[in-house]
Amino acid sequence: MGSKTILVADDETHILNVVSLKLKNAGFRVITARDGQEAFELALQENPDLLITDHNMPRMTGLELCQKLRQDARFDHMPAIMLSARGFQLDENDTAAGGIRRMLSKPFSPRELLAAVDQVLAAA
Amino acid sequence: MLLAGVVLAGPGLYRQLPSIGEPGFVNFAAAILVLLGAVSGLMAHRQIRKSCDQVGASLLKAYQEGDESPLALNDRALNPLIQSVNQMMMSIRARMNELARKVRELEIQLKIVQLERDHAESILHSISDAVLVTDPWDELVLANESAARALGFDIPEEGRPPIDQILKDPKLIALIREMRASRSSGSRKVVEHSIQNNGQERTYKITLSCLTGDRQDASGVVAVLHDITREAEIARMKNDFVSHVSHELRTPLASIRAYIEMLIDGEATDAKQQAEFYEVIQNEANRLGRLIDNILDISRIESGIVKVNKQPLSLTVVIKEAIEIIIPQAIGKNITIQENIAPAIYQVLADKDMIHRAILNLMSNAVKYTPEGGRISVLTDVNEVEKRITVKISDTGVGIPPKDLPHVFDKFYRVEANNRMAKGTGLGLSLVKQIVETVHHGKVSVESVVGQGSTFSIELSLC
Repeated sequence: MGSKTILVADDETHILNVVSLKLKNAGFRVITARDGQEAFELALQENPDLLITDHNMPRMTGLELCQKLRQDARFDHMPAIMLSARGFQLDENDTAAGGIRRMLSKPFSPRELLAAVDQVLAAA
Repeated sequence: MLLAGVVLAGPGLYRQLPSIGEPGFVNFAAAILVLLGAVSGLMAHRQIRKSCDQVGASLLKAYQEGDESPLALNDRALNPLIQSVNQMMMSIRARMNELARKVRELEIQLKIVQLERDHAESILHSISDAVLVTDPWDELVLANESAARALGFDIPEEGRPPIDQILKDPKLIALIREMRASRSSGSRKVVEHSIQNNGQERTYKITLSCLTGDRQDASGVVAVLHDITREAEIARMKNDFVSHVSHELRTPLASIRAYIEMLIDGEATDAKQQAEFYEVIQNEANRLGRLIDNILDISRIESGIVKVNKQPLSLTVVIKEAIEIIIPQAIGKNITIQENIAPAIYQVLADKDMIHRAILNLMSNAVKYTPEGGRISVLTDVNEVEKRITVKISDTGVGIPPKDLPHVFDKFYRVEANNRMAKGTGLGLSLVKQIVETVHHGKVSVESVVGQGSTFSIELSLC
C-alpha cells in the first residue's frame, strides 16, 4: 500500500504542502500540481493510483480534470477524492463520470482525509 | 266699398228717408242696423286678421331670429291668445336657457373627462413599467410605450388586435389567457418570467389582475410588467459575493485548521518543520484578518463611518513603498517593473494608509493578471495648471473585454473571462474606487485592450 502514488492538485501552496506531508508520512508517494492542466499532464506521465483535487483551480477545474481523465482508458479505474472549499454539490452523473468517490470540504481534517484515502484505495 | 256706396248714395237716399211713425220706418231702421253690424263686423275681422298677422310675424321672427321678446299687441279679442303665446314663449325661453346651461355643463364635464383621460394616458405612457390591458376576447385594448418597447411591438393605431398577433412571448399570452379564464375579480397573480426581445433577455415581475365589468362574464386582464433584470443581477452578484467571500475565508481557515491538527498529531518531524507550521498558521490568520478588514472597510466607507486622517502627502513615497512590497511577487513571475515618477515635491492631501492600499491593490492586480515575463509600468503625470496629479499603472496583461470595462469598479463584479487567471473577491477595485472617489474626491479610470494589457489611473488634486 505504501507504494501507491497519489496525485494532489490544489492552487493553494499551503494546502498542497500539508496534504503531501500527511500522505508522505503515511508512506504514500505523492506528486503535486498547482492547476487542473498541470495535474492532467502529470497524470498522463505518472499514472497515479488516486487523485485528490480541489475544484476551483485556474485553467481547468477539478471536475473537468476528473472527467477528462476518465475519457482515457488508462484512468478508467482511477478513483478520485474532491477536496473543495466551496460547498458545492455535484450530481450523481458528474460524480460517476469523474470517478469521484468522496467529497470533502475545506476546512478539512488531514486525519479524515487520510482515512478517506485508505477507504477509497481499499475499495478500488 | 259698401260704405262708400252708402255715402255716395247718401243725398238721394236721405230724400227718400221715412219719418218716425211712417210705415216704412221700422224696416228702414232694421236695415240700417244690419248695415252697421256688417260694417262693424267687417272692421273687427280686419283688426283680428291684422293682429293675427302680427302674431304670426312675431312668432316667425322668434323662430327665425331667436327674438323671444313678448308680443306687444293690444287687441282685446286676441289678448288671451297673445298672453298665452307670450307665456308659452317665456316657458320655452326658460327651458331653452336651462338646456343651454346643461349643454355648457356637459361640455365642461366632457372637457374635464378628456383632460383626465389625457392625464391618465400620459401617466400610463410615462411609467417605466409595461402595461397591457385586454378584453374578454383576449384582444389588446390598451398598451403603453414601455410595453411596446419591452415586448417589441407597435402600439395599434385603432381597433383591438388579438394578443397573439401582437405579443411574441407564448408564456405571457398563456398567462393573460389563464387569468382571463379564471374570471376571479380582484384577484392578482405575480409571476417572475424572462422575456427575449431584440436578442436581449430581461427578467420581469409580471402582475396580472382581472377586470370585471357590469356583466359577470365580462372579464378583461391588466398585466403590469416590472423589469427586475437589474435586481436579479444584483441578487446574483450578492450570491456570487457571498460564495467568493466564503471561499476566500475558508481557504486560510482550512490551512490554519490542517496545520494545527498536524502539530497536534506530531506530524511535524523536527523543530524546523514545527516552526514552518507555526509561521503558516500565523500568515494565514493574518490573511484572514486582511480579508475581513477589506470587507469591513468597504462597508464603512459606504456607510460614511470610516475615520479619515488626511495629511499633505507625496504620492512618490507611497508608490515607492508599494513597489517594494510588490517586487517579490513580480520577480516570482519574471515581470519587470518600470517607473517614471514625479519628484516628491508634488503633494496631495490624503490619508496615507488608504492611498497606499489603493495603489498597492492596482499593482497587485497588474501582477496577478500579467502572464510570466510581462512588464508593469508606473508613472505619474502632473498638470500644474489644473493642479492635478495622475498615477497610471499599466501592464502587459490579459486585458479586460469591452463589455466588462464599465463594471470593473462595481462591487462583487468579476471579469468572467479572467476568472481562471487569478482569484479574488470582486472587492479590490471597488475598494480602490471608494478610497479615491468617495474619500478623496478624485477619479479612477481604466483603459484596456484584450491581449495587450490594461492601464488603471488615479487622479487626485494637488495641495
